Amino acid sequence: MAVEIKRSAEFHWPSRVRLPVVLTFEHQSGEGAQPIFGDRPNYMISDAIQYGARRGLWNILEELDKHSVKATFFVSGSTAERYTPGVRAVQKAGHELAGMSYSFDRVRTASPEKERDIIRRSMKALQDSAGTMIKGWRCPDYRISPQTLDLLAEADFEWDSSLLNDDLPYLFDCRGRFLAEIPFTTSTADKTFASYPHPQRGGPDGLLNVWNSEFDMLYEESQRDARYLILSMQTWVVGRPAVLRVLDQLLSRLASFDGLWYARCGEISQTLRPQGA
Amino acid sequence: MWQEKNPIEALRWPQHVRLPIIISVHHQAEEGPFVFPDGQPDPFDFSERQYGGRRGAWRILEILERHNVRGTWLICGATLEKYPEISRAVKKAGHAIAGHAYQHEFMCNLRPDEELAVMRKTVSVFEDRLGERLRGWRTCFASHNTVDLLLEHFAFEWDGSRSNDDLPYIVEGHGRELLEIPFFAPGDPAYAAQITQPFSPPSAYSTWTSAPPEFTLRSYKAVFDALYERSAEKTCVFPLTVHDFITGRPSRAKVLDSFIAYVKQFKGVVFTTHDELAGWWRANYTGIGTQDP
Repeated sequence: MAVEIKRSAEFHWPSRVRLPVVLTFEHQSGEGAQPIFGDRPNYMISDAIQYGARRGLWNILEELDKHSVKATFFVSGSTAERYTPGVRAVQKAGHELAGMSYSFDRVRTASPEKERDIIRRSMKALQDSAGTMIKGWRCPDYRISPQTLDLLAEADFEWDSSLLNDDLPYLFDCRGRFLAEIPFTTSTADKTFASYPHPQRGGPDGLLNVWNSEFDMLYEESQRDARYLILSMQTWVVGRPAVLRVLDQLLSRLASFDGLWYARCGEISQTLRPQGA
Repeated sequence: MWQEKNPIEALRWPQHVRLPIIISVHHQAEEGPFVFPDGQPDPFDFSERQYGGRRGAWRILEILERHNVRGTWLICGATLEKYPEISRAVKKAGHAIAGHAYQHEFMCNLRPDEELAVMRKTVSVFEDRLGERLRGWRTCFASHNTVDLLLEHFAFEWDGSRSNDDLPYIVEGHGRELLEIPFFAPGDPAYAAQITQPFSPPSAYSTWTSAPPEFTLRSYKAVFDALYERSAEKTCVFPLTVHDFITGRPSRAKVLDSFIAYVKQFKGVVFTTHDELAGWWRANYTGIGTQDP
């Protein structure tokens, strides 16, 4: 079982970094669509998500390029196979590719054999489509199984980002192998505020408000303690023009602050290693 | 058996207090997550709530310290055991501490003997681990036996489990009395946490924190503005409920920070605790009083 290693009280970011900004995008093409009437999937929901693979991703890549920032993309294996040019473009632009199961597999109660197979298929899909060995993972429904972290470490992963329980990354000791945990939050997720078919609480304005509020608090605290801003987004949500404009507004505003570092998750996990454990 | 008494004349606050505000911090961390039918806690909900114990409670404590205000911390027995440093820091900072069940049990689903066992366990954990004799109690999902058990078996001074009135009232039974200090519940603007389906797994789209911060701040201010106006003529109290895993998130902690700064501008606004409020009541009230069991 993965055992948490207590983070050193002296943990700090590389010099001249005041607050890392970690942009994470979850990328699928409808595998996660839940049937709403009866037991069959329907175009209304799966199309809303497929949008992310057809259009959203490309819109996002343009936006990130405009602001010259790097991000992390969690990609469903079957989407990498079906929408290969998209993941190649992500790779080519210098963003980090990471895994998010093969086909939105819910593993909470899966057997280790089943889960091992899902991880292996996801790795292979990303390797075949983008030629990259993924080193990071996020569980698509954020519900890990008791063995998820151990299986990731066993498959040579360096980090996971499926938990929501801290302001800073930390390390797990998984049967002698280290795995970094990079906790995120759904409290600032785009889909929570501005995504059909879910309740659109606040819409784009509400999303901008929560992002600004989160950043302001963390930037203030980062003067005293190490913090990072991590945002979880869906290519099918923030890829829409009205929501993408909110990301544009945030990135434009952040450009006037000192000490920000747009870090990919892999870079965040590297900061843990030389210092602790 | 117990009955209500409502000697409203005893509900007067000290001269300098126009509107008391009690910030009630529910410090429960990962206790009470959604549990799947197979008996396993939902890993998503668990992890999101765990944030409250690992980080959120500290952030709320820092904000209260920065503003130099005290409140009441309602703490689960198991949370005290898992995160003792927070409870010690809370105590040291002079906040009131009250019991919030052991593992955030749904008392409404327990038999009276089971509920009593939870109460006893919680009371003894606070004595053993914190040297704290609990004076107050709150359970979010109270049973019809909760008040009766508190009166029969313990010497609590107040209970805050009900949400059915604007003002405190007395409950009497088993030869004892305690002050019921009602709190606000979901549906009240001052709660402002979007609790849509408390009994089904929270979807990844509908978290505990899905209202935008500005909505929550506006809601807090709406309640404050109404009560401040009303308090010119009538006795009022504002029990503001926040949770470590909700308001402890950076974007929502900012709301608490802004709200405290806002209300501090108003004359006669006093941040207090349930313990202190119960003391004000007792100073004006000549009833049978609370006796040791």
